[in-house]
Amino acid sequence: MRIRTNEPVKVLTVYDPEKGRTIPHRIKWQNEVHTIRTISYYHRERRGENVYHIYHVNDGAFDFRILCDSESLSWKLEEVVDGVGA
Amino acid sequence: MKLSINSIEPLVMHIDLNSCFATVCQQAYRNLRGKPLVIGAYETPKAIILAPSIEAKRFGIKTGMPVYEAYELCPSLIVRQPDTGLIRDVHVKFRAICECYSPDVAPKSIDEVVIDFTHTRHVEKRDLSDVGTEIKRRLREEVGDYLKCNVGIATNRFLAKVAASLHKPDGLDSINHKNLLDVYRSISLLDLPGINVRYQARLNTQGIFTPMDFYHASFMSLKRGVFQSIVGYHWYMRLRGWEVDGIEFKRRTVGQQYALGKKTNNPRELSRILMKLCEKMGRRLRRKGYVAYGIHVGCAQADGTYWHTGRKTHHAIYTTHELYREAQYILNKRPPEPIVTRLSVHCYDIEHPVGSQATFFDMEEKKRKVAGALDTINNRYGEYTITPALMMNMDKTVIDRIAFGQAGIESGD
Repeated sequence: MRIRTNEPVKVLTVYDPEKGRTIPHRIKWQNEVHTIRTISYYHRERRGENVYHIYHVNDGAFDFRILCDSESLSWKLEEVVDGVGA
Repeated sequence: MKLSINSIEPLVMHIDLNSCFATVCQQAYRNLRGKPLVIGAYETPKAIILAPSIEAKRFGIKTGMPVYEAYELCPSLIVRQPDTGLIRDVHVKFRAICECYSPDVAPKSIDEVVIDFTHTRHVEKRDLSDVGTEIKRRLREEVGDYLKCNVGIATNRFLAKVAASLHKPDGLDSINHKNLLDVYRSISLLDLPGINVRYQARLNTQGIFTPMDFYHASFMSLKRGVFQSIVGYHWYMRLRGWEVDGIEFKRRTVGQQYALGKKTNNPRELSRILMKLCEKMGRRLRRKGYVAYGIHVGCAQADGTYWHTGRKTHHAIYTTHELYREAQYILNKRPPEPIVTRLSVHCYDIEHPVGSQATFFDMEEKKRKVAGALDTINNRYGEYTITPALMMNMDKTVIDRIAFGQAGIESGD
């Protein structure tokens, strides 16, 4: 299953002062709370002058691609993948 | 001329990320790890595969194969398009790690880097195999735990690349004057970088069937018989571990090309694509601070032919409008019947401007100022915030791609 979307999503984050990084901890998607177990990849992308923080995270079942807009400090869910089927 | 094998200490390291596009995708999506995955130009059955994962390669799936053929080999295949932002980020982080060991780091493509330790050996005194092992470890720890790379160490770039291809994936090999001939005995001509089936056929006609035959071929037979040019001399040196590829050529052209998803000979549709190509090319040309004095347009056509024409200009061109006007002039000369499958545009004779010649009319100057203002807006608010009207509704056409070959990615791109 692969769902491509562009919906605002509720994200609980934790700031880790040792790593100097903000880490998404939980996502609420389709009325279900997903606790993030691993951050598979993090990178930044510049679109114009605006910087987007893109996290690929996994809750043990699904891969989520979530994006934080550094200007509006809003979060969006871009993709959900469970790896089953094409 | 008779030259022995170069016996100096191997100080050139070639690092190659394994199945880069696919592995980066598997790094980001844990659910795709360990599964046959290919990165295609598109996700449609007729699209060409750009990179198969290590798992997909075990089914015999190769780069360049259409997706529908790959499905026949592996029905459970997963197909994805490249995530260009992700791949570029991995490249930048990977290159930053390599630059910790030597300032002589040359990216050969998005997934290949050459580190030359020749001028920094007095600083980096460790065995280069240890350095290679450390780079592998840092790649996993600092970039992504699923990423693997092959490391090859030799006396020149060519042999370092051969060494990096000996044990895939995740290998580390060194070629020196002691084991060079053993390596040549264990591989075929097509395993040598730069030797494709056409070169192989050319070598075969001269009685060269193995790398050992190639190595034993005399300088004159390579120069006069096989290659009939200086290229024969280069191969003679290369095969013995002497460096002939360490020259960084300056950029000569800036261009864009696009394989049409929907093949057409409709002049209006081709003009719209040409405009978008010129806009992308113009943005790159201006970002690098160049102007051009020539433009070239090429069309691969459905009947298998290739039509192309170039034209020099008397004045420097650099705004999108100027580039498009010149390119459209050339495209109008194309015979209208053949259906176009791929459209490309390149500008050449590029150079940094040394002040523009004054004109009687200041229209050109005004246009350039407008181009500068549009670039500033697009830099601030994102690509294609303002575009020429001809490009309306073309967001999904000529999408961002990673070119094969030399990578010119800056950290801030």
